[in-house]
Amino acid sequence: MMALIVELVLMPAVAFVVGLAMLLMMRKIAAKIQRRVGPPFFQPLYDVVKFFGKQTQISHGLIHDVGIIVAVGGYIAAETLIPVPGMTGIADRTDVITLIYFLMVPSLGMALAAGQCANPNASIGISRALTAMLAYDIPFVIVIFGMSWMYGTTNLVQMVEYQQAHGWGLFQAPLLAFAGLFALQGMLGKQPFEIYVAPAEIATGPMVEMGGKYLGSLIVMQSFSLYTAGILYTTLFLGGGVTWIDFLVKAFLVVAIPMTIAFQFPRYRAEQMLGSLWKWPVLAGLLGLAVVMWS
Amino acid sequence: MTLLDGLWLASALTALAAGLFGRSPSAGPWLTALYGVQFLLVAFMGPLAYGADPVPASPAFSVLGYGLSWQFTALSWFFAVITAGAALAAAWFMSGAWGRHYAEQGGDLRLLQLALALNPSTMYVLLASRDFLSLFVGWELVSWASFVLMLAAGGVGVRWALRYLVYAIGGAMAVMAAMVLSHALTGSFEFGALAAVVPDLSAGTLWSLVILLSGGFGVKMGLLPFHLWQAGAYAETPGPGSAFLGAISSRMGLYAMLLTLFGVLGLGTLKALSIPWTPLEAHELLAWIAAFTIVLPTFTALKQNDARWLLAWHGIGQGGYMLMGVAMGDALASAGGLMHVFNHATYQAALFMAVTAVVYRTGTADLNKLGGLVTRMPLTFLVLLVGIIGLAGLPPMNGFVSKWLIYRALIDDGQPLLFVAAVVGTLGTIVSVYKLLHNIFLGQLRVEHESVREVPGSMLAPMLALSLIVFVTGLAPGLVLDWLTTVQRELGLAVLAPTLGGVERPDGGLDMLWVVGILFAGFGVGALIFLAGGRARTVHQLDNYAGGHFLTAEVRYHYSDNFYAGLMHRIGPWYRGSFQWLQDSVVAATDLLAQAAAGVYRVVQPAAWLLGVTVLALWWVAA
Repeated sequence: MMALIVELVLMPAVAFVVGLAMLLMMRKIAAKIQRRVGPPFFQPLYDVVKFFGKQTQISHGLIHDVGIIVAVGGYIAAETLIPVPGMTGIADRTDVITLIYFLMVPSLGMALAAGQCANPNASIGISRALTAMLAYDIPFVIVIFGMSWMYGTTNLVQMVEYQQAHGWGLFQAPLLAFAGLFALQGMLGKQPFEIYVAPAEIATGPMVEMGGKYLGSLIVMQSFSLYTAGILYTTLFLGGGVTWIDFLVKAFLVVAIPMTIAFQFPRYRAEQMLGSLWKWPVLAGLLGLAVVMWS
Repeated sequence: MTLLDGLWLASALTALAAGLFGRSPSAGPWLTALYGVQFLLVAFMGPLAYGADPVPASPAFSVLGYGLSWQFTALSWFFAVITAGAALAAAWFMSGAWGRHYAEQGGDLRLLQLALALNPSTMYVLLASRDFLSLFVGWELVSWASFVLMLAAGGVGVRWALRYLVYAIGGAMAVMAAMVLSHALTGSFEFGALAAVVPDLSAGTLWSLVILLSGGFGVKMGLLPFHLWQAGAYAETPGPGSAFLGAISSRMGLYAMLLTLFGVLGLGTLKALSIPWTPLEAHELLAWIAAFTIVLPTFTALKQNDARWLLAWHGIGQGGYMLMGVAMGDALASAGGLMHVFNHATYQAALFMAVTAVVYRTGTADLNKLGGLVTRMPLTFLVLLVGIIGLAGLPPMNGFVSKWLIYRALIDDGQPLLFVAAVVGTLGTIVSVYKLLHNIFLGQLRVEHESVREVPGSMLAPMLALSLIVFVTGLAPGLVLDWLTTVQRELGLAVLAPTLGGVERPDGGLDMLWVVGILFAGFGVGALIFLAGGRARTVHQLDNYAGGHFLTAEVRYHYSDNFYAGLMHRIGPWYRGSFQWLQDSVVAATDLLAQAAAGVYRVVQPAAWLLGVTVLALWWVAA
């Protein structure tokens, strides 16, 4: 029991640190592509500390506060559902289906907070974010089904064990791995699928009324989401991790791919995004599913 | 006198009292107490859900030599406890301020009370039926009772009630045809007699029975393509009535299907019945109909601008999950489908009540004429929030558990397309219910709603009680799943072995106690982090970024109309209204045929036709 409690504390803590490092990587990649130097090593941490310590903190009401708490707290909780090297948390008591629905709780929190702000830009941002969810989750659930069927389990711990015995999911189901990576681009809200932030159109959408610790919390949320996406993909396709070193190398690589693609692209319109996410990854996913199920 | 007799008597007394004293708003609490008695009587029959012997009814009739008898089993009890709970909640909701308000607005409170009371009473009769005759009697009583409830408000509701009536009569004809067929095969209306000959029946006969029964009862469930009556009929019923109808009424169709298709014909028969030239079997056909019933009405709900219509359309879609679960038939899926009946009743009643509460205070359910009410009606907001999380099927509410059971079973069964359909339905629901919450409670508060207050206790109490059930049965789904094991055994389905937190299995189980616990622990840490930041100051809603402009109270600064403009740009053209077109064509064709028949009969030698028909009729009777 004690060991479990330690895991439940450690897993989100590691996620926070690694997530901030991923945030730094994202900004470094953007800088390299745009031929800038980029921020110093501790910049993401400085940002969070600065935002939380600001004197002017503007709230738009109770639900604004509660929504932010749900957004951060939901991710903190979600980190204990994905196994990492040496720690399984409560991954054995839940499964990947629970995880994907669990991850919608923090998004709901952000949606509530943004809605209470009474700014149409925020509402448009949420309407676009939900549209994006409808776009990327359809290929993503095809991937989840295919991998669960192939591994014969929805338990993430068993998925890792299977891959470490029989080889990575990436090599056994490359089409599904491609579909998953494509969906990841949308899930992280990176260009060309970044319609819900769209600073030049809707003034950063959900973030428009956020400042101080509210914005700081959203940065924390983003770092958690980068980490979660990275390790979830690693767990599904790259055999999880034997040690923390190979696990983190894989996770950083996974996150680096959408980043690198992102800064080459402009922004798609909503219907273009729906079109591309419902076409290529869904086709690849269904084809991959057929291969997995009938081979 | 058995407990079932007592329940019938109590529900009849409730109806009588509602008819006599319903006009007076002060009768509300007394009527609520009578519904409470009904609920207690059902609760006393609780041992049924843990395997006790069926509770019979003392009255038994004989019509033309065919006996009618009634008894409550675990299956009846499961539906009865939901019915009694929904009726109690609805009656409680209208017992005080709402009832007075309704009467003051010119509504006929006596008629509404009577119509509401008739519904559970007739449902208890249907739920106790144990042969085709008593089933049909109960079925007709329930249909007419819900028709009266839909009519109660008059106005636009009458049109929808009449439309329902046409569908209901059509469905009843199909059920009657199935009864006649069964009688022709066995010479009896007993379920047991039909069950005994099922193994000897030809595929054609079995298909006829399956199609007639599922079609007939499917009308009540709003299965595609027989769903067009339901949204309007439920949405336009006065608030508490729509809460009751939305919670349980259409599930009577599922009950009757479970009783006949699964209880009499048996899942094994449905699985053995394959569709020629396809890899599908009869039970998969039902699951596919369920899949379409999930997806299409859910995306129709997404387009609604009236909160009540939005919820009513979702009610049709959620029925699809129930049928999909039981049609797949394994232990997980059928438990999920059945549990969804309970879960849907709890959150749907709460949602309709929350929307009714908003209408009570603001006078409108138009999603483009509301906004920002969270600061004025925080508890109603909480109820709606809990309800939509349940409806969307997200943790930690009960709707997640029943859907999880279905998803998990679909992965086990290797049904990727049904799985995707089920998930697409859930995603569509999430998108749609956020709009509902946002457009009513979030965003800018309108000037005319500045003085709106929270609704009184008589309306809040049942809503909050239902929300609590939604949460508690999400935290500990084993409470409900335990009952369902008995129901599964009764229907001859594979039986689930639930734990208090859900299902334990090494290859991916669910323990909601841990999931919810960890979620709230996360919220706690999140709150600590949040509070570690500087102290926040709350500003007025007009103190907002507006691109350099200054906002005033006259400026509408709220995004609500065509909420998913980008999405509709893409999927808008996919809404073709083909079911409406199908319904209109059937109506037009029937009309044309009727006119032609009338024309022939009246214009061309009427006397000769009359003579011919009479001779034919006499010949048929004599033969």
